[in-house]
Amino acid sequence: MPDERWLDGKVALITGSGSGQGRAAAVLFARHGARVAVIDINDEGASETVKMVESAGGESFAMHADVSERDECNRMVATTMERLGRLDVIYNNAAVQMSGRLVECSEADWDLTIATNLSAIFWACRAAIPAMLEGDGGSIINTASTLGLIGSEGYAAYGAAKAGLVALTKQIATEYGPTIRANVIAPGSIDTPRFRKVLTGIDNVDEFLTMLTSNMPMRRLGTADDIANAALFLASDRSAYTSGAIVPVDGGLSALR
Amino acid sequence: MRSELAAERSEANVIAIVTGGASGLGEAVARRLASDGATVVVADIDERAGQQVADNLKAAGFAVEAETVDVTDEGEVAAMVDAVVERHGRVDVLVCSAAIEVRASVVECSDDDWQRVIDVNLKGPFLCMKHAIPHIAAAGGGSVVIMSSVLGAIGSPGYAAYCASKGALNNLAKQAAIEHAPEGVRVNVISPSATDTGLFMKMAESTGDPKRIIDMVTRNSPMRRLGTGAEVADTVAFLCSPGAAYISGTIIPLDGGLAARRP
Repeated sequence: MPDERWLDGKVALITGSGSGQGRAAAVLFARHGARVAVIDINDEGASETVKMVESAGGESFAMHADVSERDECNRMVATTMERLGRLDVIYNNAAVQMSGRLVECSEADWDLTIATNLSAIFWACRAAIPAMLEGDGGSIINTASTLGLIGSEGYAAYGAAKAGLVALTKQIATEYGPTIRANVIAPGSIDTPRFRKVLTGIDNVDEFLTMLTSNMPMRRLGTADDIANAALFLASDRSAYTSGAIVPVDGGLSALR
Repeated sequence: MRSELAAERSEANVIAIVTGGASGLGEAVARRLASDGATVVVADIDERAGQQVADNLKAAGFAVEAETVDVTDEGEVAAMVDAVVERHGRVDVLVCSAAIEVRASVVECSDDDWQRVIDVNLKGPFLCMKHAIPHIAAAGGGSVVIMSSVLGAIGSPGYAAYCASKGALNNLAKQAAIEHAPEGVRVNVISPSATDTGLFMKMAESTGDPKRIIDMVTRNSPMRRLGTGAEVADTVAFLCSPGAAYISGTIIPLDGGLAARRP
């Protein structure tokens, strides 16, 4: 356990915490005293995260929920309240990433991307905010992407959804300001299982990574822990006066654009 | 947090320079970094106030020393940094908090006021970064935190020079971040709105009716309150810690949601 626990007594719900950035956050939040609702569509991954939380001395439970479905978003919040009794932090980390230029983007891909990466955050926050207001307010963290801030060829639906999420977050910050904070983390390229999956179609991965990182001010990919540390800061009272902010965690990449 | 700050280097002692450290937000930051275990150099133009802050913090058991410096004078900035390096062998953290505020619209702003604001708020951080960053890089990397303002991104009637200086400062910081990232030097900006500690309170008190000004400002703030020096110090501490290892070139608002409702 760290010297100071930043989330003592708090309850955090983290979507997409069956792997990658969500999992790193679940373990870190638990080490800082939070009880964590581990939400994912990958049941095996979610159970593994719960084991990791427990072996770090924390408390959590796993729950299957597909955030692209409104009712599942409602259910994950209700279940968290039933099982853990309060809600202080919701970290909307789950996302899908499908590439395709606008004309090639199928309607099904568009609908799924908008549902998972944008509407899901609306549904989850609409359910979570009243639960947070029953307690002491809370902190909402939404994961955007560098691609929510700039255009990038081949990410029509993804970019639109992430930009919408940024606007939605500012709206929440404005409307529920006195007690609920809402902020965006904008990760750059982070070395997670999902990132590696995107790389599988590439012939020479090492060469590609060298080229990619040579354009980054810090010359390296980010790690899931880099993102989790920023999420911990935003979840905790250490960032008590920061709301409606976009926090890039991208090794300086967005400063270049 | 003590251990986290120290972990930025394997040696226990982090050397931090805080300009404008004798008052306001700079003082809050100096106090916070010192209580986290850093050796803090309070660098301020006000010799007596700087020494007073250093003495108070030393009496509380912290490692703090004072340097008198006019950040607009390159010779003085270079001498200040050299003195720190001579005593401690390196610099790990630079916090640029020295700033001034002049109330005047574009057409009312005198040449002298314009120059003074641009010199202190923009050239000051430029000179401090110019002379400290090579030492931070030589120490294996570290963190620079630039105190800007929400007025670096949005306008406010009557703050022509101040807004211009802070807007330029934001982009200067990004430039420094990009240029020195490969050396392990991270540069980030903190963008506070009105706080109960800094220039805002001086301005509010100068009107003779601070409560009216505070009410006006907090009514427009989503959080309905001013920020605090401690909150600003918390964010500086985070940006200087290993938890922020992949964060550089960013502008972190500390404005209770204010900027979220502006374009």
